[in-house]
Amino acid sequence: MAWDPEKDVIEVIRGPQKAGGAGGLYRAFGETLRGLKTTFGQLRMGVDTIQYPEQKIPVYPRFRGRHQLHRFEDTGLEKCVGCSLCAAACPSDCIRVVAAENTPEHRVSAGERYAAVYEINLSRCIFCGYCEVACPFDAITMGHEFELSDANRSDLIFTKEMLLAEPIERTPLRAEGE
Amino acid sequence: MPRPVEKLVSLTINGNEVQAPAGMMLADAALKYGDVEIPVFCYDAKIGPPVGACRMCLVEIEGIPKMQAGCSVAVTDGMVVHTDTPTVKAAQEAVLEFILINHPLDCPVCDKGGECPLQDNAFGWGGGLSRFIEPKRHFEKPLALSPLIAIDRERCILCYRCVRYSQEVAEDFQLVLEERGADTFVTTFDGHPYVAPFSGNIIELCPVGALTSRPYRFRARPWDIEQAGSVCTLCPAQCNVSFSVRDERVLRVLGRDHEGVDDGWLCDKGRFAYQAIHVDQRITAPMLRDGGQLRPVTWEIAIEAAANLLSHAGANTGALVGGETTNEEGVLLTHLMRETLGSHDLDSRPGGALELELLRALNAPTLQASVPDLQYAHAVLVLDCEPVDDAPILDLRLRKGVRHHGVKLLIGSSRPSALDERAAHSARFAPGCGEAFAAALGAELAGQPSASLAEAAGADPADVVALATELREAGEEVVILWGERLTAGPRRNEGARALLNLAQELGLDGQDGGGLLEIPSGTNSRGLREVGVLPNASIGLGDAATVGRDSEQIGEALAAGDLSAVILLHSDPLLDQPSSALWQRALGKASAVIAHAAFLTPAVLEHANVVFPAESYAEKEGTVVHPDSRVQRLRRSIARQGETRAEWALLAELAARIGNDPKALTCSMVSARIFEQVPFYAGLSLDLIGGVGIRWSEREAAASFPAAPAAPFTLDPPPAAASPNGLLRLGSFRSIWASPDVEASPALAFLHPRQRVELSPADAERLGIAHGENVTVASNGDSVTGLAHIRAAAPDGTVFLQTSIPEGSAALLEGPLVEVKRS
Ligand code: SF4
Ligand code: SF4
Ligand code: SF4
Ligand code: SF4
Ligand code: FES
Repeated sequence: MAWDPEKDVIEVIRGPQKAGGAGGLYRAFGETLRGLKTTFGQLRMGVDTIQYPEQKIPVYPRFRGRHQLHRFEDTGLEKCVGCSLCAAACPSDCIRVVAAENTPEHRVSAGERYAAVYEINLSRCIFCGYCEVACPFDAITMGHEFELSDANRSDLIFTKEMLLAEPIERTPLRAEGE
Repeated sequence: MPRPVEKLVSLTINGNEVQAPAGMMLADAALKYGDVEIPVFCYDAKIGPPVGACRMCLVEIEGIPKMQAGCSVAVTDGMVVHTDTPTVKAAQEAVLEFILINHPLDCPVCDKGGECPLQDNAFGWGGGLSRFIEPKRHFEKPLALSPLIAIDRERCILCYRCVRYSQEVAEDFQLVLEERGADTFVTTFDGHPYVAPFSGNIIELCPVGALTSRPYRFRARPWDIEQAGSVCTLCPAQCNVSFSVRDERVLRVLGRDHEGVDDGWLCDKGRFAYQAIHVDQRITAPMLRDGGQLRPVTWEIAIEAAANLLSHAGANTGALVGGETTNEEGVLLTHLMRETLGSHDLDSRPGGALELELLRALNAPTLQASVPDLQYAHAVLVLDCEPVDDAPILDLRLRKGVRHHGVKLLIGSSRPSALDERAAHSARFAPGCGEAFAAALGAELAGQPSASLAEAAGADPADVVALATELREAGEEVVILWGERLTAGPRRNEGARALLNLAQELGLDGQDGGGLLEIPSGTNSRGLREVGVLPNASIGLGDAATVGRDSEQIGEALAAGDLSAVILLHSDPLLDQPSSALWQRALGKASAVIAHAAFLTPAVLEHANVVFPAESYAEKEGTVVHPDSRVQRLRRSIARQGETRAEWALLAELAARIGNDPKALTCSMVSARIFEQVPFYAGLSLDLIGGVGIRWSEREAAASFPAAPAAPFTLDPPPAAASPNGLLRLGSFRSIWASPDVEASPALAFLHPRQRVELSPADAERLGIAHGENVTVASNGDSVTGLAHIRAAAPDGTVFLQTSIPEGSAALLEGPLVEVKRS
């Protein structure tokens, strides 16, 4: 259908032709003053900005940050047996497990097998925590660290050694009732 | 026994009317025709009749008061079955709870996890809770049942599958169950490792992780791998396989059940020799001989060098083509040889060419038997071959035919066969006398005197009479499973004629369910012949414009200096050809040897000037032809390792450099050309071949197979077998394990054969040789040493040695008589 300019009526609403005293003044500045009232009102409330990274908000205990792999406290063996269930559960397919067999001379985990390679590509991880839920041995848990930026994507592939290492606690944990 | 006729019956499953063939087990029928799954553990149709050991498959059948095992009840007309009633549900939960009582919670560390029928059934039909709090039974674990198989007895649910397989399918009678009740465990009869040609199949059969593959141990989870279907090209049986691939590496090989080819089984070579793809000693870069040493070079240098050598030699080039070559590579090689270099000296048959007419007659589609025919025929005559060594999987098919279908198995061979004990009759003849034996059998069937022929074959005339009687009385569906050996050697043409006469006497031409089935020496021998990789045939078994030299003559011409260069396409003449001495001379004299090889086998190591890396079968694409005329397709499953390149492309490139570009841009282009040019492949396409292959002899285009002369032929009387006279006749055989792939596979290397000297007890006693002693076998100044192996079944007067092994092969000796003594 052809466009009919007659049908597109544009209505123009204009202000009064004459400025007109106090009414005119109010029309000119009234709304601005109302806005400024909010602005000046805020001055009373003090500063709320957190000076990150000098200051940090504590995280909740269930916060899902960077993963950690765990060892048994008594034997020092790795809890992970390399079963790959975390890799199966991972929705972004960022875990890679290559298992190998424990031998009496070279025992790494408590079970028959262990993870010879365990890598998480943290640039793909969505921190959903499914891996933690899938693990039958509580070998992997989500930690509290979220400061994971890096200058290089490949540095974000965390190896087993990195995940097993005691994390540097850079993030305060929220205390009870905080 | 002929194939059973299918009769349909109707039954009701869960209220739905279902049609299924009578006699089929309810569990199969419900799944296949009724889309209802009845969970099973112990039942698998391919192991044979059910035993009803696990009770997982209980169902209700109206009119029978108690629940029935769905795996053990055959469907009948009007049967009304319920698989989803509360009673059935309760039974399923109870059975699973019972099975899980002693099953360890090993899933995270168990290799079966993720593809485990016990996990699946427990998830789908189990109650979800266990009331059992007592300790579970314990066994020592993990243990090695053999170097290839790990056994975890705690996980075993005593389904009997592995034991039944060993007893009824492979018939090696090694696996048994010991003890009673919960203490029962699977073990070998004598406590020795379970080593057998088909042992690996129990890994796939076990419904839990009790039997697992040691080479695959902990390598991957089902979700880490991809399955890639292809064909095993390690022997002519061409089993359909599926590669499990992770990170471009083949981690295991599984069967891809094909009733027409492998019946769902694999031999251990096919199952474990994939390891050879990823070993360091594999050649994965081109090499050039430089100062007597082979050194890796760039592709450019290698191709340039090969092209120079070849254009220099021109028509003075010969080519030997090994059985692992695909049709596409074969065709491109003929282009390189015939059209580019102008040489007609190429051959894919070891030991010399057969007359083209006879080759056509032997491959005629009307005379062609199929693999399933072995299982349903009235009688099968195994002639001059040993299935378990030459095409292993056929051994299982023959055993199945005898056990379940009443096939009458008859054997005529020189070396005692593993199938002898299943045979209705076996006859022995002197090595190399297959021709005389076939002639004797043919004469006896024709009612002519056969005794003198039998004697010429070194066989007992009474045996020939007995075999002929059995054949005559068996019925009309007879399959002759014959080995290429029958048509090798100096009297190969007479051997073919005797075989064709025998087939004619039995009326096999045009016989449904019967015919000839060859076991060729190489995997794709049949395909290579059909695409014209022969000195005397063009593509499609047509007449060759110029007849060239055959493999034997190529060797002689090289030794005499008439040929100067030779291409060894997947062929090592020192391993494959009957005479090592000839080929030592030939290769020593050749000025250029260009080899395509995966391993540094003797000829490559010592003589090759240029070596191109050969693709492994998991890296190749192309087509191959099964001995029963099934055209099958190889699919590339992994990235080529190292610097390996596609060989079809390399052959095309070589031809282009020399000045005659075959214009092959893709491999499928070459396949399409083959389907166009071979008259009896007309209309084939890669899509049609698909994953299961297609038998060309069953298609209409088979009518355009070139006409062949009809039997009977007049036979030239065969010479008498050499009489031992204090010496011994030399027989040779190629073991299933004699292959560079087996040698290179770490897990299989323990099976790679060393020379052993098979003697009968009487001969051994006469020569004062004890079992296991070192002996020397000598003839004409050549000698070979090996360990004496005294075999009760071995015929007196003959000694058997192996061929195709790198050291001390029987091919080093010149027969027919040899001297054996202690060394
Ligand atoms: S948190 Fe989620 S996305 Fe990240 S590794 Fe675990 S399962 Fe994968
Ligand atoms: S972290 Fe847990 S789920 Fe993942 S491989 Fe290790 S044991 Fe298995
Ligand atoms: S080892 Fe496996 S196949 Fe054999 S009886 Fe046990 S569960 Fe069955
Ligand atoms: S029988 Fe032959 S084709 Fe089949 S798996 Fe064994 S080697 Fe491969
Ligand atoms: S499957 Fe029927 S009893 Fe085991």
